[in-house]
Amino acid sequence: MIKKILVAFDDSEASYRAFDFASEVAERFKAKLILLAIVRLPEPTTSLEMGAILDDAKEHYEKAFQELRDRTNPKGIDFVTSVEVGHPAEHVVALAEKEHVDLIVMGRRGRTQVGRFILGSTSERVLRYAHCAVTVVK
Amino acid sequence: MTQVWTLAALWLGLALLATLLAIWLRISTALSEIVVGTVAQLVIGAFIGIEALGAKAPWITFLSGTGAIVLTFLAGAELDPAVFRTKWKEATGLGLVAFFAPFLGCTALAYYVLHWGARASWLVGIALSTTSVAVVYAVMLELGLNRTEFGKTLLAACFINDLGTVIALGLVFAPFSVRTLVFIGVSIAVFAILPWATPRFFRKYGGRVSELEAKYLLFLLFALGGLAAWAESEAVLPAYLVGMVLAGTVGKDHVLIRRLRTMTFGLLTPFYFIRAGSFVSIPALVAAPLVGLALLLGKMGTKIAAVLPTARWLGYPKQEALYTTMMMSTGLTFGTISALFGLSHGIIDQAQYSYIVATVIGTAVIPTMIGNAWFLPRHLLPSATTEEDEAPAAAPVPQPTD
Repeated sequence: MIKKILVAFDDSEASYRAFDFASEVAERFKAKLILLAIVRLPEPTTSLEMGAILDDAKEHYEKAFQELRDRTNPKGIDFVTSVEVGHPAEHVVALAEKEHVDLIVMGRRGRTQVGRFILGSTSERVLRYAHCAVTVVK
Repeated sequence: MTQVWTLAALWLGLALLATLLAIWLRISTALSEIVVGTVAQLVIGAFIGIEALGAKAPWITFLSGTGAIVLTFLAGAELDPAVFRTKWKEATGLGLVAFFAPFLGCTALAYYVLHWGARASWLVGIALSTTSVAVVYAVMLELGLNRTEFGKTLLAACFINDLGTVIALGLVFAPFSVRTLVFIGVSIAVFAILPWATPRFFRKYGGRVSELEAKYLLFLLFALGGLAAWAESEAVLPAYLVGMVLAGTVGKDHVLIRRLRTMTFGLLTPFYFIRAGSFVSIPALVAAPLVGLALLLGKMGTKIAAVLPTARWLGYPKQEALYTTMMMSTGLTFGTISALFGLSHGIIDQAQYSYIVATVIGTAVIPTMIGNAWFLPRHLLPSATTEEDEAPAAAPVPQPTD
């Protein structure tokens, strides 16, 4: 029985598909939906850049969350949101454990082989560390 | 004007390239701009001529200097005065330790081991004494410690650390003449009046499309910068202090800060960081790579020796203390500002400048990599798996504004 679903949301097309998939599952199982967005700062960050990114991200995600609410409210699906700063995979895994989530749904950005080599893959990292089922939507 | 526009296009083109690299590689734009400046100078110097980039042109020097001043002002304005008032004793203690250890340690290293001159050694001590407030704050946000008492104390300590750096830069090389006294006296009077006068002035005349606030702040920064230069000090000293004294008023005006950021990011700091990078001599670095390594180890070693026991003494858990110490070993903005000050005032030569900037870049990158690889607090991953399942240290990044 799926009671709680965590969606890792980064405003990419894949994460919108992940949200749509998760909202369908939530509707079917009457599960609670949690949306987690993570702001990753450049490394090493500078004061100027950090302040700008945090301000922009806050506004950006609030707008994106509202758009998603407008889409799902007619279906009677609501969700709670959270915006964290830091390493994406770690925050997804940590929140999933803290909230006793049954399913994590996330999109795959489809990086190139080189991109994956340099930056790694959030979805692979979550798959390895998560305590629960993980669905990666392509 | 043809040459000016062409040169401006070249510099903004480099800034654009640096920004793209920063986005692709997920590194700070400042770091990317320094590296692009270094490579551009090398390539353009080899194919066209060493003066082709025009890094010493007066208008580029002006834009670059303004970038450093406004950047420093905005860094000072990030201070939270309420936290500082309640935690000033601990913050001052930790901040002074974090400043003096690398300041004195790296000065001694340069003087006794590298056999640099006294003034060059003091300069390298100053350049490597800094701590990046932004990096530490990012760590605090990640660990959720920015709202805890210790997190707030540590952040305030970082401001004290950087204040030590800026004061040392402004005063160590000052001649201590009557001009120095006039500079200090006028600055103190201005700093005392500003927190009272500025909000009132803005309330009465601000909030118009004519950008009165930006003009007022730039006037202040230029006037105090001019006074500092007249006294043979450094313009970033009053800029940082103006930022700190206005942190509780101007610093809380998000709309104004965002407008200043746009101006700074879009035009000023690219000129500053690309110019800083353009003076780096790759041949000098290749000729003596161990100098940069020695300075890097000097900074990290002194920071670890000073900050780690202090953080532990203040009650920080071991893993977090290690991670925080690594992050407190970073420093980019004030490190390059100090090095450029030294080069432009003849305190250091181009080779020494190159070693310092390379070390500053190293301190910006290496502690972050080490911290992420080995000291990232694993409580975020409570169900750590076996060694063969170990995931890569760097994770990709959901981008908020893609």
